[in-house]
Amino acid sequence: MILLESHSVIIHDVLTDRFEKPSRADIQFVDYDNVRFHLSTPQSKAQVLLSMGIQCWPDLVKFGAREHLQQQYAGLLLGEAETEPEYNVSLLIDLEKLPATPEEQTELINQISLLKATAMSAPFLSAFAEQATLQANYKEPAGAQQMDLQPSEHKGELKVVRYREEEAIYIQASHDHVTIIFSTVFKEETDRVYGRVFLQEFVDARQLQSLQSAPQVTYSNREPPLEIRHIPGLKTGEDWGYVTFILFPRHFANPTKALSTINRIQLFRDYLHYHIKCSKAYMHSRMRYRVAEFLKILNRAKPEVAHAERKTASGRTFRTR
Amino acid sequence: MSRQPPLVIDNGTGYTKMGFAGNSEPSFVFPTVIATHQSASSGSASAASSGGRAPPPVAGKPSHLASKRGIEDLDFFIGDEAVANSKTYSLHYPIRHGQIENWDHMERFWEQSIFKYLRAEPEDHYVLLTEPPLNPPENRENTAEIMFESFNVQGLYIAVQAVLALAASWTSSKVAERTLTGVVIDSGDGVTHTIPVAEGYVIGSSIKHIPIAGRDITYFVQQLLRDRGETAAIPPEDQLRVAEKIKEDYTYVCQDIVKEFKKYDADPYKYFARFSGEHSVTGRVSGVPSSSTDLTPSHLLFAHRRAQNKFERFLANRIISVPQKYDLDVGYERFLAPEIFFNPEIYSSDFLTPLPEVVDTVIQTSPIDVRRGLYKNIVLSGGSTMFKDFGKRLQRDVKAIVDGRIAGSEERSGSLMKSSGVEVNVISHKRQRYAVWYGGSLMASTPEFYNVSHSRVDYEEYGPSLVRRFSVFGSAV
Amino acid sequence: MSNTLRPYLNAVRATLTTALTLDNFASQMVERHNKPEVEARTSPEVLLQPLIVSRNESERVLIEPSVNSLRLSIAIKQADEIEKILCHKFTRFMMMRAEGFVILRRKPLPGYDISFLITNFHSESMLKHKLVDFIIQFMEDVDKEISEMKLSLNARARIVAESYLATFV
Repeated sequence: MILLESHSVIIHDVLTDRFEKPSRADIQFVDYDNVRFHLSTPQSKAQVLLSMGIQCWPDLVKFGAREHLQQQYAGLLLGEAETEPEYNVSLLIDLEKLPATPEEQTELINQISLLKATAMSAPFLSAFAEQATLQANYKEPAGAQQMDLQPSEHKGELKVVRYREEEAIYIQASHDHVTIIFSTVFKEETDRVYGRVFLQEFVDARQLQSLQSAPQVTYSNREPPLEIRHIPGLKTGEDWGYVTFILFPRHFANPTKALSTINRIQLFRDYLHYHIKCSKAYMHSRMRYRVAEFLKILNRAKPEVAHAERKTASGRTFRTR
Repeated sequence: MSRQPPLVIDNGTGYTKMGFAGNSEPSFVFPTVIATHQSASSGSASAASSGGRAPPPVAGKPSHLASKRGIEDLDFFIGDEAVANSKTYSLHYPIRHGQIENWDHMERFWEQSIFKYLRAEPEDHYVLLTEPPLNPPENRENTAEIMFESFNVQGLYIAVQAVLALAASWTSSKVAERTLTGVVIDSGDGVTHTIPVAEGYVIGSSIKHIPIAGRDITYFVQQLLRDRGETAAIPPEDQLRVAEKIKEDYTYVCQDIVKEFKKYDADPYKYFARFSGEHSVTGRVSGVPSSSTDLTPSHLLFAHRRAQNKFERFLANRIISVPQKYDLDVGYERFLAPEIFFNPEIYSSDFLTPLPEVVDTVIQTSPIDVRRGLYKNIVLSGGSTMFKDFGKRLQRDVKAIVDGRIAGSEERSGSLMKSSGVEVNVISHKRQRYAVWYGGSLMASTPEFYNVSHSRVDYEEYGPSLVRRFSVFGSAV
Repeated sequence: MSNTLRPYLNAVRATLTTALTLDNFASQMVERHNKPEVEARTSPEVLLQPLIVSRNESERVLIEPSVNSLRLSIAIKQADEIEKILCHKFTRFMMMRAEGFVILRRKPLPGYDISFLITNFHSESMLKHKLVDFIIQFMEDVDKEISEMKLSLNARARIVAESYLATFV
């Protein structure tokens, strides 16, 4: 598995099971980035309540997450008043009012299992929309110098999504691109070193012919990039890294493309950390192999002991350990 | 912020149970098996073929993994997916006899369990793992090394399975006080263990293993069916599956085997059950999607419940097109099957000690001051203890042995000494099937869990030898 | 193998072979004890002159002989941050398993990455020239392994980055 999947396997499995045969449930689980889920049947077996708590919900609401979910999960989403306490979003799935065909049911399950991804996509979508407006209103400047003088005029609002305790995503639309900045922290020395190797490769990978049209990636260590430098309270230091993705309109040209881009990019941090961990696992297996080899060499130094059969006085054999 | 729930992972020899603390059932139950790609030496031919046949690891992404040099170690599947891919990949079982044998495979198994199935960032979570009794400390150290160094978990607690099974029994209404003293009878697919635990510590010297477990019962059912000639109707490749189904759905433990036989003979129509099944192979010729062929009987040994449901669903859909049905009578095997625990001679010729006797021996070889506590709290765990009335029968038989011994010693004392009697209790409860996992979930959801787990800070200070220190908890819960 | 490595290893081999003349020697401080003198350091008269064989600034071997034991510490080449962390990981991993490597010290000497302690019991129960072979082989392989690990880390990182970015195309 190289790429991480966007959907939640637990939601998918449980719903598939429940669609077949309704039964009681009360399951709590999580997803990446401090997302909590609670799937329960509070009233009856046929009424499945799926609630989600996201840490950065206040940020997401600002960028129209609720409206977006309303649109995606029409008929399922419960109003703010009915949302389960301690959670941010609740969906109520009535197993008696399911779509008729198995295909539609599968479609519904898939859609629901993407709940987290959908909620997180709101700020990205709004940034994409903003970019479109900016592009439409954008007038070709008379000279390049003019642009240098007033660059901020063509930029959209800087959206901050604090999706983890210490880490955040910054999204800013501009007339011809959308900038997405991840701040990321490495908790351990090894992670930091590995992380830097990985991030450097992200920057370099674009030199490849086949990846020319991929988003441009830059990586800065210690210093936050220019776009967000004015934000107070930014962490700087050895353990911090800032990764900037520059998405061009071609990456979100049509809704399908935009969706896949969003789903991919919001898992960037998890993807990076997943692979750092995989690399460590790989190093471990290499080291295990090497250590075993060394042991073999060392054991060659031990002279082979000839095992002469030993007997007791009564003629019974025994072995010393 | 609210703390993220700890991950509870119970890696057994046969199945891995995993989920989040606080739930009553594991979110995932699948075989502890990893399918890795054939060694890189087999060259590009195998890589190319896998690209064509094996389902892509990620939706919409061709399996180009194998073709990329340097990252072959990410090209693997675990659990049901591994079984499904056994044609192009080779299967490995990283755990043998409860203990981790292959650390490379186990590390990758965990990697995918956490990232693909649980979808948790291990840096944010505590982890509770289980270990068999008498696990060498080196294994604990290796586990800690992997968990802390590869996955950067926040904290780790490694619990002994038997202790967790005891904790799980606290849900039973029969349990008056929550102690960690008792005998755990853990019967899974391969082997049955009887493990005495005193105040959270396993009495290693008294552990007994019984080579009779779920798989043997299935074979026995199959043998009984064959002896009566019922199997004629079943296609040979389905026999094991049918036997397993009968074992799971129809069997129970009787209290008196002779009476039960008489009952059946007097009124067979009342007691004989009908089992109807369909041919599973005929489906293959009638153009069923290739995914169904993943479930050939040889894999069914491992096909876990969910996969089976899928299979049945698939069968149900197919009845209309292929009405190839067969019926058979389920007779004496209904009560004979679990009887092999109590009268092993009807099945095996080399192991002849009945389970109640083993339990009694285990307790009798334990230190004398805990014996009463052990008799009082005999806890069942694992799928093969789920038979109806299993606990009742076991309790009766153990009680009979104990009472017999007491009567004998009273008599030998010239009836001068009177015993106050020994209380024998066999506890069975709702969470028995995944008792170990449930016990883990229960323990990990207590606030005390965080105090007894080994945290990352501690690990950084002391290193892997940290986990040699074994801290029992739960007594204060 | 580069030109400088061969003489370096040869020098280590020669020194080590010479130094591995160990004898059973009872402790002079504690009756009926037998301690590796190079560790105990209780009687200066049984310690011999330590010796450093050095290839360059970062790679060197310290050999401390004594009458009944010999301590050998190796500083492994670490060109950059990555090699440093890999080397640290590797030696730590090995020292975790010191039980199997009878001659491996659980902690390196300060300033070195890994240390071995060979006592007269080891040199009596094992073939001396094979022990030397092991040390030399270890020094050879550990460098190779670390640079291979570094290469594979880079290769992995590249694939990971490419696979991720390829999904945007």
